[in-house]
Amino acid sequence: MKATFPHMGNIYIAVKALFDGLDIDYVIPPQNSTEALNIGSKYSPEEICLPFKIMIGNYIQAIERGADTVILTGSCGPCRFGEYCEIQMNLMKNLGYDLNFIVLDMPKDIGLKELLKRLVKVGSTSKKSSFEKLKAAKNAIEIMNLIDETESLAHYLAGYERNKGECKRLLHKCLKEAVKLSNPYEMLSLIKEYRNKLKYIPVDINKDPLKIALIGEIYTVIEPYSNFYIEDKLMDYGVSSKRGMTPSWWLKDMALKPSKLNSLKIKKSSREYLSMEIGGHARECIGEAILAYKEGFDGAIQIFPMGCMPEIVSKSILPTISKDYGFPIMSLVVDDMTGEAGYITRVEAFIDLLERRRDNVLYGS
Amino acid sequence: MLNLGIISQIIGNNIICDILFKGGFMKVGIPKGLMYCKYHPFLVTFFSELGAEIIVSDDTNKNILDAGVKYCVDDACLPVKIFHGHVDSIKDKCDVLVIPRIMQLWKNEYICPKFCGLPEMVINSFDKLPVTITEPIYATTKKKLYNWAKSSGKFLRKNNYEIKRAFINALNAQKAHEIGIYDSGYEINIALTGHPYNIYDSFLNMNLVKKINALGMGIITAEFTGEDILQKESENLYKRPFWTFVRENYGFAVNAAKEKNVDGIIYISSFNCGTDSVIVELIKDGVPDFPFLILKIDEHTGEAGINTRIEAFRDMLERRLFNESNISTHG
Repeated sequence: MKATFPHMGNIYIAVKALFDGLDIDYVIPPQNSTEALNIGSKYSPEEICLPFKIMIGNYIQAIERGADTVILTGSCGPCRFGEYCEIQMNLMKNLGYDLNFIVLDMPKDIGLKELLKRLVKVGSTSKKSSFEKLKAAKNAIEIMNLIDETESLAHYLAGYERNKGECKRLLHKCLKEAVKLSNPYEMLSLIKEYRNKLKYIPVDINKDPLKIALIGEIYTVIEPYSNFYIEDKLMDYGVSSKRGMTPSWWLKDMALKPSKLNSLKIKKSSREYLSMEIGGHARECIGEAILAYKEGFDGAIQIFPMGCMPEIVSKSILPTISKDYGFPIMSLVVDDMTGEAGYITRVEAFIDLLERRRDNVLYGS
Repeated sequence: MLNLGIISQIIGNNIICDILFKGGFMKVGIPKGLMYCKYHPFLVTFFSELGAEIIVSDDTNKNILDAGVKYCVDDACLPVKIFHGHVDSIKDKCDVLVIPRIMQLWKNEYICPKFCGLPEMVINSFDKLPVTITEPIYATTKKKLYNWAKSSGKFLRKNNYEIKRAFINALNAQKAHEIGIYDSGYEINIALTGHPYNIYDSFLNMNLVKKINALGMGIITAEFTGEDILQKESENLYKRPFWTFVRENYGFAVNAAKEKNVDGIIYISSFNCGTDSVIVELIKDGVPDFPFLILKIDEHTGEAGINTRIEAFRDMLERRLFNESNISTHG
């Protein structure tokens, strides 16, 4: 078995650590690029959302490098993501690829037994003992959490840094070096080192940079290729940014969901506007917008792929929040036809608006 | 007469509801959009049994479509936009507006996230709306559906006895109501699949049913296929479908093609519909070598283009059925 998995932001580093720890053969698909998207849009159904298309590109590029098994997470919510596995399986079969799919679905949908069976299927090729397997899983989760922490530190401190570009440089160096290591323990200590470096970079605490929250659909917010590297660009502009959607948040949310203790803060703040769970991350989007306002952010940017059903609902609610709180929110829709120049112009214009809003004497009167 | 919707916002909803109900002239508005075509007997009977005057919007027309496009968020699909238009046309005429939030019709099956968030979409798209009933509808069992009836009835200041009676009558009315098209006597028969609100709204689909019949093709819709057959067909899928319309449309289309009840399938789908993008792929995969036409509709669809496509589809079916083996001996 040679496993592969679709990209989503920096999750590949944690998955690499997991496979290294388990001693399973794997292929990391090449970083998302226009090539992957072109392959994806060529074979995918026309109206499906952007993540699907990029994922198909990932699979085909990984198959070219020898992969024969895809590991994919699933869901049974009303959002389209839950049906991805079925259509992708059919699509790859019709294209003539002999590809195994292991779908890690919610136990609620397929039963705990089936989930364990599928997990065993992943782990069966590993020769490690059960104890070592658990340890590898623990390491991978730790690495995921650390990377998310490092990322959010860099994104937030970018507004305060004294030496321009230091945060971005450190973050990218960290990711670049981490991927080269094949020992999870070494990787862990390396990321820790970079996190500490980032924590103690020289900052100017008198600065009052613009702060923008990134909200919206989880894949497009996390995956930098699909949102045109918006976080890097915000770092270049000297804007502090925050995003609540991270792989570690997702894992925690999934694990706590059966007990209904997941994301209590978000649930509480979104109750007034969207009281129900409607699938996808619409409620989280609303909750994060309100939380961002309460935490003193200047504005929020919502990003979602074209046709994303839950985010369309939240898009129709966001103007009301914007009006009620006096909090600027911009919605950006991405798909495979989005032009980068138009997109970046909108982001820049939004930043200009926030800046002017601060200086304007009429602001707040 | 004074606009009670606005007064109720000023004085407070509860007081107004009380006053109105003692007077006995509450007007309940029901928009004629989305699943109204299928479940209107239930909604109408329930509220009229509770003593309310029912205000139903007109059939979809150009004004309603324009209002919908104006008020609704631009990424939404056409049926949701039209629902907004229906709300706009009755919002000033009624005191209470019913926005059905259909969560589940079958156990563990949703319709679409937009249905779950429909009240939020509507409420946030209009400046002034009357009081709204937005209780979630879980129609998986009678008991769960009664929860909806109870909270909606309480809203209209009715006691349990009255609600229960209205609920039972409404259920009976719904049971007596049958929709669906099953034409006979045509040479060519096609299966018309898609969401019911796309099939039965003749403005939205530009009189598709009449057009197909006029071309000499009979129509069969999903309502005449038994629940057990739908269930059996959808069990062939790798993953249990979690949308009601996947099971219905996929099961119906695959079964009809297998049983040879029909000669072709027409799927009417609204542009940007999330569930349709999946269902169409599943059907294509389920019946790979079967005539299958997908009609996409949105607010800009030209009627001529649709006509041409249906005519071409008919020509193709005709050739396939009657002329295929007529190969000229002269070469």
